[in-house]
Amino acid sequence: MAQTTPSPAPTLTVAPPAAVALSGVGKTFELSRGRAVSALEDLDLHVAEGEFVAIVGPSGCGKSTVLRMVAGLERPSTGTVVVEGRSPRELARSHRLGVAFQEHALLPWSSIRGNVALPFHLAGRPVDAARVDELVRLVGLEGFESARPRQLSGGMRQRAAIARALVLRPDVLLLDEPFGALDAVTRRRMNRELARIWSEERITTVLVTHDVEEALFLADRVVVMTGRPGRVRHVHRVDFPRPREAAITRSPEFHEAVDLLTGLLDAEGTA
Amino acid sequence: MSAAARRAALATTGVLVLLAGAEAVGRAGIAGPSWPPLSEVAAHLLDADRRATVVRAASATLASAAEGLLAGVLVAAAAAFTGLLLPPLRPGLDRLAALLHAVPVIALAPLLITTVGREATPTVVAGLGAGFVMFVAFSSGLSLGGRRSTHDDVFDALGANRVRRLLRLQLPASVPTVLDGLTLAAPAAVLGATIGEWFGAPRGLGVLIVSAMQNFQVTLLWSAAACATALSLAAYGLTTALQRAAVRRMA
Repeated sequence: MAQTTPSPAPTLTVAPPAAVALSGVGKTFELSRGRAVSALEDLDLHVAEGEFVAIVGPSGCGKSTVLRMVAGLERPSTGTVVVEGRSPRELARSHRLGVAFQEHALLPWSSIRGNVALPFHLAGRPVDAARVDELVRLVGLEGFESARPRQLSGGMRQRAAIARALVLRPDVLLLDEPFGALDAVTRRRMNRELARIWSEERITTVLVTHDVEEALFLADRVVVMTGRPGRVRHVHRVDFPRPREAAITRSPEFHEAVDLLTGLLDAEGTA
Repeated sequence: MSAAARRAALATTGVLVLLAGAEAVGRAGIAGPSWPPLSEVAAHLLDADRRATVVRAASATLASAAEGLLAGVLVAAAAAFTGLLLPPLRPGLDRLAALLHAVPVIALAPLLITTVGREATPTVVAGLGAGFVMFVAFSSGLSLGGRRSTHDDVFDALGANRVRRLLRLQLPASVPTVLDGLTLAAPAAVLGATIGEWFGAPRGLGVLIVSAMQNFQVTLLWSAAACATALSLAAYGLTTALQRAAVRRMA
């Protein structure tokens, strides 16, 4: 089922206009005394409308920087980042972006309902209580609406953060290791939940992770990055049918793909 | 015995040992005639007429301290928000606050008496003491010039403007730090008011202390000092309770 798309050139041409397009993107961070480190170089990445793309790479390869540039939190030093035909900052300012990070970043003084409703307040729109309830239900937090974040487990907090990211029906969803701080069992369960939630919402999504299995289970395409400076090393198309069940992770195709991508990452580590 | 009970017992024992020690020093006369036994000070305060004098003075000091604290909080908040809205002014405001704080009260006092007058000097000195602490608390609570948190990233990505970020993130996040500052500022205001009264205020604990000292009324002197300490401790206790409640609610 899963097959590798040979990609001689890192550029992948997609027929419909890309929802997220990074072209020739480079990022240099200034260090002290005029020294600089190149985090990304000549990176091309296109994500189609309604596509789920996962980025994996060795730590420090700049995969989070890619995500932060798409979110408008960093500016590229060279090249362009276009999201839904606009600059990322414009998209953020029009409240069309959903984000969830490794740190849940829920407001501790606010209830779960208040946290999920936050994007409505920040967009200056009346809170759609039905939509908030729908999201709370979708992430399986019904009954915990009035709880404070600190009263919930790590997994439940991440669910709330994902509900917050989805509540405004964003054009683009950006996930930076959202389950990175969770234990392996909770993490697998959260991945199954996210796959279910995603197949209901079908939002253009970019996920950054260091977990190859997570990437293969969730994404339509997995992008493997090289170490610093980060470039696209390999693009892997994942063809498991949706909605995906945990059973696919036990299939030989899945294991084969895991081995292939892990091998690519390891080769990078020893290079 | 529970941990809390043991702590309370230890604290009570400590206070009792201290009081007994002071009493013993006074009775033995080790520190000379200016250190009376504490029982004499207590007897002084139990006498209705004498107590009335101390209480009158204490209420004047409390009023000056409260006014000074309020003024300090308001001015500090105004300064911190100015820094928030006009970032280029921040370093200047920080330095001005540090400078005001660095000038000894004893050097400012003659200036204050000629400008704001004897009546208002205690309030102004209390306000100066409380205001600096509160300025630091507001600045750090609103994390002016602090490092970015993931909350900032989320608010940026969700397209929050400056006003909504202030109302939904910075203000609520600052509450515990600001109240932390208040636990320091409230006793500082009591101290400031008492010191301000030294420079010729018409009434207050500071005045009582100065006149008792000049007339060698040792028990009156100690009574006034004990009263000032009690005020200061009460201010600290009250604000600490407030701060704890806020931390439970906000964190």
